[in-house]
Amino acid sequence: MTEKKNRSMIQRRLIPTYIFLIIVSLISVFPFYWMISAATNTSFEVASGKITIGTHLIENFQNLLANYDLWRAMGNSFLYAIVQTVLAILICSLAGYGFELYHDKGKDLVFSILLLAMMIPAVATMIPLFKLLSSAKLLNSVWGFILPSISTPFLIMMFRQNSRNFPIDTMEAARIDGLNEFQIFYRMYMPMMKATYAAAGVITFMNAWNAYLWPKVIMTMPEAQTMPMLIANMSSGYTTDYGMLMVGVLFCSVPTMIVFFVLQKQFAEGITGAVK
Amino acid sequence: MKRRVLAALMAGAMALSLAACGSGGGDKSSGGGSASGGDDNTLTVFAWDPAFNIPALEAAAADYKENVNPDFNLEILEQAASADVETAVTTAASAGDFSNLPDLVLFQDHYIQRYVADYPDTWTPLGDIDINWDDFSAEKLDYSTIDGEHYGVPVDNGTVICAYRTDILEQAGYTIDDLTGCTWDEFMKIGKDVHDKTGKALLCMNSDGNDLPYMMLQAEGVSQFKDGKPYITENETLVEIVEKLVQMAKDGTLLMPNSWSDYTDKAIQGDQVAGVMNGNWIIPTIEKVEANSGKWEITSMPTLSGGEGYASNGGSSLYITSNCQNVDLAKDFLAKTFGGSTTTYDNALRDGGVIATYAPAGETEVYQEGVEFFNDQPIYADIVEMGTHVQIVEQSDYHYSARNYVGTAIVNIINGADTMEALQEAEDQLNFEMGN
Amino acid sequence: MKQKKKMSLLAKQSVAGWVFLTPATILIAVMAFWPMIQAFIMSLQTGSSANLQWNDPIFNNYTRMFADKVFLRSVGNTFLYLIIQVPIMLILAILLAQLLNNQHLKFKGFFRTCVFLPCATALVSYSLIFKSLFATDGLVNAVLVNLGIFEENYNFLGHSASAKAIIIIALIWRWTGYNMVFYLAGLQNIEYSVYEAAKIDGANGWNTFWRITVPLLKPTIIMTFIMSINGTLQLFDESVNLTNGGPANSTITMSHYIFNNSFGQGGVSNFGYATAMCFFVFIIVAILAFINMKVGDTRD
Repeated sequence: MTEKKNRSMIQRRLIPTYIFLIIVSLISVFPFYWMISAATNTSFEVASGKITIGTHLIENFQNLLANYDLWRAMGNSFLYAIVQTVLAILICSLAGYGFELYHDKGKDLVFSILLLAMMIPAVATMIPLFKLLSSAKLLNSVWGFILPSISTPFLIMMFRQNSRNFPIDTMEAARIDGLNEFQIFYRMYMPMMKATYAAAGVITFMNAWNAYLWPKVIMTMPEAQTMPMLIANMSSGYTTDYGMLMVGVLFCSVPTMIVFFVLQKQFAEGITGAVK
Repeated sequence: MKRRVLAALMAGAMALSLAACGSGGGDKSSGGGSASGGDDNTLTVFAWDPAFNIPALEAAAADYKENVNPDFNLEILEQAASADVETAVTTAASAGDFSNLPDLVLFQDHYIQRYVADYPDTWTPLGDIDINWDDFSAEKLDYSTIDGEHYGVPVDNGTVICAYRTDILEQAGYTIDDLTGCTWDEFMKIGKDVHDKTGKALLCMNSDGNDLPYMMLQAEGVSQFKDGKPYITENETLVEIVEKLVQMAKDGTLLMPNSWSDYTDKAIQGDQVAGVMNGNWIIPTIEKVEANSGKWEITSMPTLSGGEGYASNGGSSLYITSNCQNVDLAKDFLAKTFGGSTTTYDNALRDGGVIATYAPAGETEVYQEGVEFFNDQPIYADIVEMGTHVQIVEQSDYHYSARNYVGTAIVNIINGADTMEALQEAEDQLNFEMGN
Repeated sequence: MKQKKKMSLLAKQSVAGWVFLTPATILIAVMAFWPMIQAFIMSLQTGSSANLQWNDPIFNNYTRMFADKVFLRSVGNTFLYLIIQVPIMLILAILLAQLLNNQHLKFKGFFRTCVFLPCATALVSYSLIFKSLFATDGLVNAVLVNLGIFEENYNFLGHSASAKAIIIIALIWRWTGYNMVFYLAGLQNIEYSVYEAAKIDGANGWNTFWRITVPLLKPTIIMTFIMSINGTLQLFDESVNLTNGGPANSTITMSHYIFNNSFGQGGVSNFGYATAMCFFVFIIVAILAFINMKVGDTRD
């Protein structure tokens, strides 16, 4: 009885918190809602500020399909984002593992030098990188797209940081059991660092999915078009069809959101390096 | 020892499998590694507006296919903006690898001189192409001709139109004739009356834009450059134009929305203006509001001392890149479509609203027809005719920089800066950028 | 003998460590450092990127930028965003994380998802809606005029101060939830008993926050700080999409100006100069990150 009373009192005291959180949530969600409502209205209605749900969703969607190869762009985006994510978390986790669990002066130095790579604006290296990849004959290929972003100092840093929570004793025990260093990595480290992999995966997937400037430079063939490029093409020209554009934007946003929603628990754990 | 060998082997195996993926994946999606058409009857081209220049290119392709080569195929690679084409050329030329460029590119007229000067290896001059250049407006060709050599074939027409809402003018007691050949002072007076009586602005420019001062200047036959140097503070015509624009902004005659999309979507399509002054490619934007059909008419520009003014803003031409594997086909295609086929131009106009700078095109039936939206005025023939009067003014590689700095100065002056100081800053910054 | 064997075992492990980090290191060396070296060489040159000439004097591009009014303005703008936006955003993020960490709170997952949503919202739709919200005839104006706070509609994006404010608001809106997730995860690692103990000791909410939460979150705070500084100093999206640098270049950021100079958007491309400015950004970010790590490392 008192327990129940106590609980309702706590809830009552939390009312200001709820109100605050509801306001923040509304502000946060509004543009997302608007994106959905805009997808259901005509371009003219969107431009004139209509924010209620309309009846033109199907029409906008059909316009989109008639004018653009939506499925090809979705397919490409998935292909690039998945390949990049898998390779990036594999290679960066190997490095993070190596940097932290085998660390010595030399490796620490290499690590701090690697960090410098993320401090320069991407536009500086774009033309030299283009030259490099063109001489490697990788223009218009999935490798030209992903090679520059497979190994990033940020991901390595994240894995290195989180590897601190990986118990050294287990490693010693495993060595005594006769496991070699690679076996330790994929039999023990990988399963234990699941949460970090999830977080790194979410971040990489989002970055790869939303990449625009670099893919635009490296891939000019329409067969290689990705979702952000498609969206950019839709908002070009002297006039824009906002209703159709927003259907495209919706398609472009949904995958990253699903990835986040599905993995959000692991994401939060992985960010701070929880170990299971 | 054994362990180390194993480790090295594993690392090697991983590297190998990566490399294997590399070549496999590369082959799959590279499509031969060149953006050029490849086979004997295919050409590729960059273009950027699905409602404007892309239909024009489709019209040309259909024309060529029907009348010249039934196996012909034009593959249009859509870009998000004209700037994407410029970026692609910059990267390709900087790396010395042109394989990412298509056979043909549509390129903005104001930029081409600089890109030919900076990246000469990107382009293939047209040489002996079978085109009668006298059929084109001299002003248009002035852009694509470098050192007497033709590089491009004109596609669209940048001739400036002044479109007015005759119904709103009427409410204020004026007709479009009052605005034809008038001085800018008269224009400002009419603009004030229109604003007082109807609340609409007679003129409009996005505040991060810079079209108006440039167009007004060209109508006077004056440039922002003189002998290759910025010509701003000492350019009395430019100073006078800037002062007039600032005055109009203060009077409410000149509406200045924040961005290009506000300009098209809110100011023009949202019925906030009674007049639009821009390159004729703005017409499809005006035509989007069906409710205003029959209320618009077009005429020429005012000038400082009276008399009809003519200018050109925007517009692009087609260029052959150095990645083109089939230059003869490209030349033949250009010569028999945009270089001399009224069929191409008629269909480009019908499907995309693209107006020619090719004089014979202006004589066809399609061009002579009255346009219902513009009160049955034969606007296309009128525009081609106006285009022949546009004066050639000095061009510069720093054309857009100059426009930007002048545009910035105007915003600063409206917000309270001193006119000459703001223009001096524009000139200094331009000189700085040019390295003078 | 035994000693020797142990040494070689350690050495073996060290080698294994090098093998682990080799693929990533090689990739970064080839895909980032090699282009950076080339970019640095370019930064000493001038002319179109297909035909670069050595500068005379050699560091001309570097001295040039300090005479460039637009560049200096872009530096000023970027630092203004940094100084105002980063602290507000991080404090707000900690606050939200603290509220959401309350064990009695219901619908936690729902709130967390809502607050995170902005950074997953597509740039196109978010910039469009911010522009239309703050338009002269937009919702914000309508509300302010109806409440009698403003007498007439104000062109937020057309005035320098308010346009900057909008960029800051947009940044806070977009990234607070993202940073909050990091704090929330950090808070969840703090044992509840620590708080219980503090309560018994008579510490109030404010005290617990400063004495327990902040110190325990310190590594997370430093990480988010470095990320935010890096992100803000390289800010590009908002300047391009919300204001296009305007009115009259009053909101342009360093990265935006650099981009304009590299590909000649609205001007002439001057790649040597643009890369020189990139190295300026690089040096600033590196210094700030270094200070941050030093400050943050005191406890380790």
